[in-house]
Amino acid sequence: MAELSRRQLPSGGWAALRSSAQASLEPTCLATLATGSEDSDAERRTQDFLLRLQNPNGSWPAFFGDDEDGVWVTSLAVIALRDVVSAVEARLRGVGWLLECVGRESNWLWKWKFRTVDRHVRFDPDKFGWPWIPDTVSWVVPTAFSILALSQLPCPCGSLEDIPIRVDRGIEMLIDRACPGGGWNAGNGIVYGSALAPHPDVTAVALLALSNRTQHPVIQTSVEWLEHTAVTLTAPWSLAWAILALAAHGRAIESLITSLGTLPDLSGNDDTCTLALVWLAVDCRRTLAALGVNL
Amino acid sequence: MIPNRRNFLIGTSALAAGVSVSVPFFWPKYHSVRRAKRSRVAILHVERYSQRIDQVLASGLRLFRIDVQGKTVVLKPNLVDYILGNAINTHPTLVLAAAESFRRMGAKCVIVAEGPGHQRDTELVLWQSGYRESLRAEDIRFVDLNRDELVRTQLRASFMGMRSLWLPRTVLEADFLVSMPKIKAHHWAGVTLSMKNMLGVVPGSRYGWPKNILHWKGIQESILDVCATIPVHFVIADGIVAMEGNGPLNGTARPLGKIVLADDPVAADTTCARLMGFEPDRVVHIREGAKFLGNLSPALIDQVGEIPQPPTTPFQVVPEFRHLYAL
Repeated sequence: MAELSRRQLPSGGWAALRSSAQASLEPTCLATLATGSEDSDAERRTQDFLLRLQNPNGSWPAFFGDDEDGVWVTSLAVIALRDVVSAVEARLRGVGWLLECVGRESNWLWKWKFRTVDRHVRFDPDKFGWPWIPDTVSWVVPTAFSILALSQLPCPCGSLEDIPIRVDRGIEMLIDRACPGGGWNAGNGIVYGSALAPHPDVTAVALLALSNRTQHPVIQTSVEWLEHTAVTLTAPWSLAWAILALAAHGRAIESLITSLGTLPDLSGNDDTCTLALVWLAVDCRRTLAALGVNL
Repeated sequence: MIPNRRNFLIGTSALAAGVSVSVPFFWPKYHSVRRAKRSRVAILHVERYSQRIDQVLASGLRLFRIDVQGKTVVLKPNLVDYILGNAINTHPTLVLAAAESFRRMGAKCVIVAEGPGHQRDTELVLWQSGYRESLRAEDIRFVDLNRDELVRTQLRASFMGMRSLWLPRTVLEADFLVSMPKIKAHHWAGVTLSMKNMLGVVPGSRYGWPKNILHWKGIQESILDVCATIPVHFVIADGIVAMEGNGPLNGTARPLGKIVLADDPVAADTTCARLMGFEPDRVVHIREGAKFLGNLSPALIDQVGEIPQPPTTPFQVVPEFRHLYAL
């Protein structure tokens, strides 16, 4: 935690790599969730940084200085600002952008294309979620984080009345894009007739978004795959995500947390997202609450 | 038609409209020509990944005039994902041998840099593919290009219709950039060779995993724009065990027993394509790249080491790329 605090930049944000001075949104949001109210002055600086970086259209950029069209980290920023009273309006504008942002396959023309002439990646274009950046198709990670962000809003009324529809459509999309043997990769379960392997971190993020659908067979198979795979993981990023997802699905995580603690040179890890995530996994009950996942 | 002022105006307007519509089709989409007068390619025969690669590569590099004295050398391998038993990634033994060679040649610093296109956990791919331990043992720095500092960079070609891309500082500041592809058939691009390998520099933190915007803008077009913008100074292609069929991930291992070295990415890819049993000029990015990035014509390529011979059985490809086969 001390190392994470040390890496905070004067701007209030965090850079993706220790060697960098370019504040990025993903490490900033994860570090904000990890540090919580550790240091109120640092926390205020982070909140100011996040609010300052919001784009005029309500989205957030990938990093300080980025273009203003907005990217997937908008969902993470909405989550990171969840307890900040002064950020209510900013969060609502972020949610508004998320509701406008759709995978390109939702358009009738591309839907038609993916049903007729472009069928090498097997998926149902009627089931769409969120892209990494606008004007591209839906992928698993941005969809899962958007579901988590939108599910945190207590009252989907007024301009937010589309939230339940988008969340349900996103959940359908995640289930449709699962790998044949369970788990998820970026979002390509089968390509040219071949099944592709799932990735532990993506599977975990998807399972967090699907934590209230535990009875679905795809989710049960995926939890089992992740539980089986987690014990073999030597990379802290994937192991930390696996701990959070397995905890959300009521599986035992104590031995995994012990394994995480024994990985070499964690505080020296160059990647700030990984450093923050390790702390989030160790403090998993608080993290799941911050993500809106009920145990 | 009677020549009068009205008809003259109609005629000149029609001519202007026709010119403005048709000129963009004939105007070159690249901003400058970087093609050398002559290029050099060496094919080295290596049966397997072993310590001997070190010596073979060092002697192969001596066939070229390479000056890396005091320079920062960035090695860009093809590191996409790890699937047990699949020949997906450039083998770490070859990358280590290259790093060692460039250090011996006086490089100030050798960095290995990549931004895996499919797997978000770069550290996991490094561990699983054997890179992490090897890099640590040799004290070689690795930079995750998916998370590196980004610089808005004006593209030096306009095949995909974008003016700029955010690109990693480590690659932009390299004095000597070496593309180290795994020789593979690729189900979207036809081939993964030194030029296609450069799409790995496009950062996931900005464009996602996979870098889907490049698919929407056109893979061949993206390859050309990225290669026009980031000069590849040298190529070391891993064809000791290559991949055919449904690459880049789920293809079949194809032992080829070759390392291809070149001082020109187009010439390197031309030679590799021939080794795979393809006509290089049927690969769009090789054909278009030959207009401004390097040489495709055998008359302009000095071939040293082995002479490229097409294989008895060409590499398998997905049906959409059967037109690549040499007749």
